[in-house]
Amino acid sequence: MMSYSAWRTTTSAALLIISSAFLVINWVSLGLIRNDFSHSAHGLVWFLCAVGGIGLLRRYLPHHDPLIFPLVMLLSGWGLVVIDRLAPVFADRQAVWLIVSVVAMLIAALFPQPLEWLRRYRYTLLIVGLALLLATILLGRNPSDPERLTNAPALWLGAGTIFFQPSEALKIILVAFIASYLAEQYPAQRAVELTGRARSAPSGRILGPMLLMWGICVVILIWQRDLGTAILFFIVFLMLLYVATSYHRILVLGSLLVLLAGLVGYQAFSVVQLRVDIWLNPWPEADGRAYQIVQSLLAFAAGGPFGQGVGQGSPGYIPVVHSDFAIAALAEEWGLIGVLGVIACLSVVILRGLRSAAQPNRRPFHALLAVGLSTMLGAQSLLIMAGALKLVPLTGVTLPFLSYGGSSLLASFIMIGLLLRISAQESG
Amino acid sequence: MGFERQINRLLIGILVAFVSVGIAGTYWAIVGPDTILLREDNPRRVEAEARILRGRIEGRDGTLLAESTADSTGRAVRRYLLPAMSSALGYFSLRYGVGGAEAAYDNLLSGNNQPQDWQTFVGQDLLHRAREGTDIRVTFDPTIQTELESQLAAYRGSGIVLNATSGEVLALISLPTFDPNTLDANWDLLTQAEDNPFFNRALQGNYQPGGLLQIPLLAGALLSDMELDKQFVDAARPVQVPNAELRCLRSPHSPVLTLGEAFLYGCPAPFEALINTLGVDPIEAIFRDFQLDAPPTLPGFLPPVESQPVPLELSAETLVPAALGQGQVTITPLEAAIITAAITQNGNAPEPITLLGTRLPGSTRWEPFPHLQTSIPMMTSDVAASLRELLIQSVNEGTAQPAQQGGLVIGGQVALAYAGDETQVWFIGFINGPNGQTFVTALALENSANTNQIARIGGEILAFAANHLSA
Repeated sequence: MMSYSAWRTTTSAALLIISSAFLVINWVSLGLIRNDFSHSAHGLVWFLCAVGGIGLLRRYLPHHDPLIFPLVMLLSGWGLVVIDRLAPVFADRQAVWLIVSVVAMLIAALFPQPLEWLRRYRYTLLIVGLALLLATILLGRNPSDPERLTNAPALWLGAGTIFFQPSEALKIILVAFIASYLAEQYPAQRAVELTGRARSAPSGRILGPMLLMWGICVVILIWQRDLGTAILFFIVFLMLLYVATSYHRILVLGSLLVLLAGLVGYQAFSVVQLRVDIWLNPWPEADGRAYQIVQSLLAFAAGGPFGQGVGQGSPGYIPVVHSDFAIAALAEEWGLIGVLGVIACLSVVILRGLRSAAQPNRRPFHALLAVGLSTMLGAQSLLIMAGALKLVPLTGVTLPFLSYGGSSLLASFIMIGLLLRISAQESG
Repeated sequence: MGFERQINRLLIGILVAFVSVGIAGTYWAIVGPDTILLREDNPRRVEAEARILRGRIEGRDGTLLAESTADSTGRAVRRYLLPAMSSALGYFSLRYGVGGAEAAYDNLLSGNNQPQDWQTFVGQDLLHRAREGTDIRVTFDPTIQTELESQLAAYRGSGIVLNATSGEVLALISLPTFDPNTLDANWDLLTQAEDNPFFNRALQGNYQPGGLLQIPLLAGALLSDMELDKQFVDAARPVQVPNAELRCLRSPHSPVLTLGEAFLYGCPAPFEALINTLGVDPIEAIFRDFQLDAPPTLPGFLPPVESQPVPLELSAETLVPAALGQGQVTITPLEAAIITAAITQNGNAPEPITLLGTRLPGSTRWEPFPHLQTSIPMMTSDVAASLRELLIQSVNEGTAQPAQQGGLVIGGQVALAYAGDETQVWFIGFINGPNGQTFVTALALENSANTNQIARIGGEILAFAANHLSA
């Protein structure tokens, strides 16, 4: 009978081989369609990242979760194919970001310091994060509109051709801060539970940060008109709070606050109003304000069960498809099978992340951090996929690993690195 | 005790959300192709249509008339190789749609008729090869069409040549016309042009028939057992109708004429008397027999709304001008050609057809296109025989004399009609061709009163068609 260790080794190797075969087929197909194989170098970059990553993880972090890294590499490779297909001019840059991201992931996974620093220097990091947010509010730019000629959200910092989205770094910092804060409150919370006074009402220690977090999110919403990030932060914070306290009322109260913010946002901000209106009924404005979501739905329909085939659909009709609607492009060319494949991969990654959080004898900070990071990745994926399918209003967040965006890719890989580190520690 | 319970609940919640997204994706992937994908504003539809390699169109002699080729981006480009064919073939434009034969056989040409078998599934659904349409061979004869176009080139009007025996349309011209190769670029210019080149005068031109209605009137007289040699005094007198005074087309040798002679000279007065003798109901009945209330058309060539029947609503007050071809009864050149064909076919009007055969993509074999070969009885064979004789007489010694072509037996009639301040001239005629076939033509020239000229053109066209098809 195969040992657990052998199973881990075999599983990760098998997944990587299957991923490689899948991606090679797609890159070759794309090359044949275009009669141009110059972008195959991206495949080589991906392969080196995958093989190098798995080799180093096996050697220096032998007890890491065997499924997370291969699945994440499959998704990021698939994303690279999608970007090669949709926006070839950005593919080189995304390949470079992939190298940087995998290196960052390895640093986060292989070294104990990053995890420790997130706990120990949480206040410093939070101040840095909020300073970055403030800097974005004051100095933010949009790489597509560096001269600020339009009303496009200015969510990036940077100059020339190098831009960085601080909200991506803030994702990790805030999750780590909240996880650390709640972990610190855990003994007190635990004592309350043991004395049987647990279910009365959330204390000020719980409600305070909750309202603070809600306030930060509202600031993001008001100043940056970044509905996606605001909702994402609040959902993750709410889930963390629930896991840490097990108060169901927090979910109810949080939902009411989201609803309140939504109602105020709808009345106050045209961008929120627009997104809600076209979510409720996009069809009358299919050629106007709802063009993007309607084209997204058409892409799902055009893909059908099996897809049009890589390079053979027309996802280019969806504006900003490579960053906001990668899932719709994928649906058109890989079909429902492709979409379900992506959902399955993401579900397994989230499941494994939460599973490592639920390991016995875990440290509260590590458990809550794993919950926060997994929820962040899951909620972000759900928000954009559900938005592209008209289940919820569009939020403009990226699909982790698949969408174009260096900051997003880097942040997502660092989260994976931290999850791998936690998974190895907990089960080790 | 730890976070397990809450984490498990959170996990279940996230997985339920992922499943919901999967269900939504499944819904749009399964239901979408039959619903939202069919929306007019779906650009993918336009793109797919742009890639369709429409079938080739060949003339009856195999001459290539139109074909589609793919450009470097995979978009199909339609080329029309014979400018003279545009009235008959119509046009295909991604932006502006289809017209003429392109519209009538759009399903075949665009490949919509092809079976949804495994070859289609593999070729189009899996490999995404551009759909190829079915080739068609039309009844139009490029040589006759070119000749007709060159004869009428200087005029505004229309002409049509039919094989009366089979109903095949050999040529169809409407002038002014357009160049389908530059349609997209010139669309605005063409649609705003005063002469309206998109108006197919041969099919849509509801002209005042003028003296052409003398033919159904003669048929009515014959059916009422009236003798054509009955004499009318003061036969050459003009007849006043609203806005016009109708006169003989040619001065008669005597003021006393029989009905037959009045037809040969194009004199309206005896027909006015005949109309008053017959009355409203018999004339309405004979006009209905001649299908004047339901003008024929070439199926699919025109939008359905433009080929609706025109009800006959004759009254005692309007009877004379209407029956003399200067009232609410109008006629198209196609209709005139079919009436002429009925005269040559013992009173049975053939159904006009424009398609000879089809060839599936990749095949080398032409399949004959099945036609029902129906005909509409318009008159008895005796009446038809009498009218046939009169038409031959008209070319031999009547107003259609300029149509004479050497020793060839040609029958014909010319007519003049008034429309507002303008006049238009008609020629209808027939000629017996090889193998017992008969060819007919109907020509209408706007803003012209030259009956001799149109008779000459008509005669030449008929002789050309007979000679060409016997060669």
